[in-house]
Amino acid sequence: MSVPADYEQAAWSWTEHLRHGGTRTWTDWLSSGWGSDAVVPTAWVAPGAAQLEVVRRLATVSGLDGPEFTRLADLVLGRSAPGRGLAHQPLSWPDRPPGRRFGAPPVDPSVVPEEELLRVAVGGLAELALQVPVARERSPRRGWLSRTSDVQVVGAPVTAAAVRRRLGLTARRSGRASRVVVMVQPFDRLLAEVWSARVQRGAPVRWPGFVRRWSGRADLPPAADLPGLARRWADRVGAEQVHLVSVHGDPATAVSKALGLPVRHASAPLRLWDLSPEAVDLCRRVNAVLAVRVDQQRHRAALAGLMPGLASHGPGEGLTVPRGRRRWARSRAEGLAEDLRSGDYGVHGDLGRLVPTFAGVAGPDRGEELAVALSACAGLGEEWSGG
Amino acid sequence: MGEHQPTAPRRVVLHVGAPKTGTSFVQDVLWRNRESLAEQGILYPADRFDEHFLAALDLLELSWGGLEKQAVGAWDRLVARVRDWPGTSIVSHEILATASRQQVRRAVDSLAGGDAEVHVVLSARDLVRQIPAEWQENVKHRRTVAYRDFLDKVTDPARQGTLASWFWGVQEVPDILARWGSGLPPEQVHVVTVPKPGAPRDLLWQRFERVLGLEGLLDESALADARRRANPSLGANETALIRRINERVNDGVLVGDDYRLLVRELLAHRTLSHRRRTARVGLPDDVRAWAVELSDAWIEELGEQRYDVAGDLEDLRPDPQGTEALFVDPDHPDEDAVADAGLDSIVMLLSEVARLQESERRLGRELADTRAELDRSRGLWVRVRRRVVRAADDNALAAVGLAGYRRLRGLISRSA
Repeated sequence: MSVPADYEQAAWSWTEHLRHGGTRTWTDWLSSGWGSDAVVPTAWVAPGAAQLEVVRRLATVSGLDGPEFTRLADLVLGRSAPGRGLAHQPLSWPDRPPGRRFGAPPVDPSVVPEEELLRVAVGGLAELALQVPVARERSPRRGWLSRTSDVQVVGAPVTAAAVRRRLGLTARRSGRASRVVVMVQPFDRLLAEVWSARVQRGAPVRWPGFVRRWSGRADLPPAADLPGLARRWADRVGAEQVHLVSVHGDPATAVSKALGLPVRHASAPLRLWDLSPEAVDLCRRVNAVLAVRVDQQRHRAALAGLMPGLASHGPGEGLTVPRGRRRWARSRAEGLAEDLRSGDYGVHGDLGRLVPTFAGVAGPDRGEELAVALSACAGLGEEWSGG
Repeated sequence: MGEHQPTAPRRVVLHVGAPKTGTSFVQDVLWRNRESLAEQGILYPADRFDEHFLAALDLLELSWGGLEKQAVGAWDRLVARVRDWPGTSIVSHEILATASRQQVRRAVDSLAGGDAEVHVVLSARDLVRQIPAEWQENVKHRRTVAYRDFLDKVTDPARQGTLASWFWGVQEVPDILARWGSGLPPEQVHVVTVPKPGAPRDLLWQRFERVLGLEGLLDESALADARRRANPSLGANETALIRRINERVNDGVLVGDDYRLLVRELLAHRTLSHRRRTARVGLPDDVRAWAVELSDAWIEELGEQRYDVAGDLEDLRPDPQGTEALFVDPDHPDEDAVADAGLDSIVMLLSEVARLQESERRLGRELADTRAELDRSRGLWVRVRRRVVRAADDNALAAVGLAGYRRLRGLISRSA
């Protein structure tokens, strides 16, 4: 299986072009001379087409240049894509196959499937997340103004975390509270928040698999079992102290109005981020790599460094359940709403909003996810280079 | 294990696949006889049966149903043991076949450590048997892909998607050897061919013995346990049944270990694979013709590379059409046979439920006995203490003893 020298020369010279921040495509490179006088180092092994294409695209979004970009490029080119997928694909060659009768088929890097580019980018992202030190965020000292023992906010976990932060309510593990707010969301959004929270805590589960698994069970994830939450809290503080807040608009304002609490300046670190479906899925892919690379403590630290970059893309379009599970979601939501209405809880807003309208996307968009991955890679790459 | 004094240089034998070529049998023999082998200078570095699997997950950065958490650092641990061993070490796992060239380089460099002679071993079987076996393996791992869809995916030249890319990663013999053998002289790259059906039972093992350097080290009794545990393959109707079960249990009904223990182990391995007189899964004519043509190209390539072959490359050439039973389509199985396999499964599950119920009753009885014993001993203790307290009013010796006991108890409570 010898590889023709001119293919090697072309591949090597293009790799060098990309390592130094070049953005020309492979086709363009081939059509314009491609450095046929290049001397290929002995035992050099061409990186895969997906790795090279990721480096090319990184150059278009990265603020790095010179040796700093080369360092980032070498990090991407020096490691294989994690997980299952095509082995290194050779670059397409105009006249004949590039010396390989077997193995993954040659490909023009510009048409490598996004899934393969994502695998490469996720490998780089996981590596960077492990290498960039994370400034440890410290919780603000609990002052006399904080209402830690007064109000507990439960339900949709991402929304609940944001509300706690905006209203200056510190979550207490002891479970002591005199008033409890149950955040009510459309059921599909509620599930999506539970999925997001689990992924942000390190789970590698996919959205369709998550929905499929719960749709086959009699129970629900604890944070999505709103009647269960309300009952458990009612047993402790009395049903009249349990407030169901159906969110329409800004959730912190809704809770503030319902309980008469002032909205404060948010100073506590954010425990759960409001991520787009693509950012959550990307985090899920990184989790799969970190789980096999490092222990839980380092995994959590690496995620903490990754999150701000992922969150910078905003929450994006909301996530809804895949089409085949909508009947289940609707019927489950109607059951939950009925159950909640039968309790003697304080109701703020319309509990009918629990029933989903299935607005939003049924899953992350792969192209958008790749864009988030490249941008996060570029961002962490800059931090890694001390920028 | 470290007392052996070698005369030969350090040697590492890396068995990298392929799946469904007797790899589990080899690993079982090596695992069960690791102490005896170590006394003879051969290290199989493992404290648990799946240690090399975990090391491979770590090397390849593969997630595997939660097992990957146990794989953190497993490759480096394996390497440390191999490099500490002065003689021959054997590493074996079939998923290593999927390693990229960069991962191969890391694996070989780390194990060699600059001074060991590295040998790569790949066992291979003809494609006409491997393709159905891979589909069955997929079904036994929860997949619900129909047989024809599976065949369409693996025969698509683009090889896109995890199913096709994985299949070719672990089954494309010339490419696996090119990845793993690059940088090694061909005499250190070994191909073990799986004999054709009807060959003597020990022939495959004898080939492994030669390339792994085990000739004369293990006797018949060392292989007996592994032979008993070997799993025959599933029939077409039985695989169709498991696929239908997957469709019902994948929606959250069975998760994680429950699926592995109940469906894969209890039903597939211990029940359905032992059914006799059942149609085997073969290839439809179109795919068979394609596989035969591809096999010819493989055999030609392997011959040109001059690798060391244990066996005969002709073993990889599928038998001519007509020597096997007629193709039975597992997507349209014999429904009576599927129902019969279903009945066998129900009987096995009922007997398992009965066994677990008996176990639960026995544990219940043991728990009740333990509670009664605890109550009795508590009762006795309380009675003794009361008597001592009463006696302390009149008896000076009892009073001193009681005071000492109370002081001691106070000390213990404070330190806790």
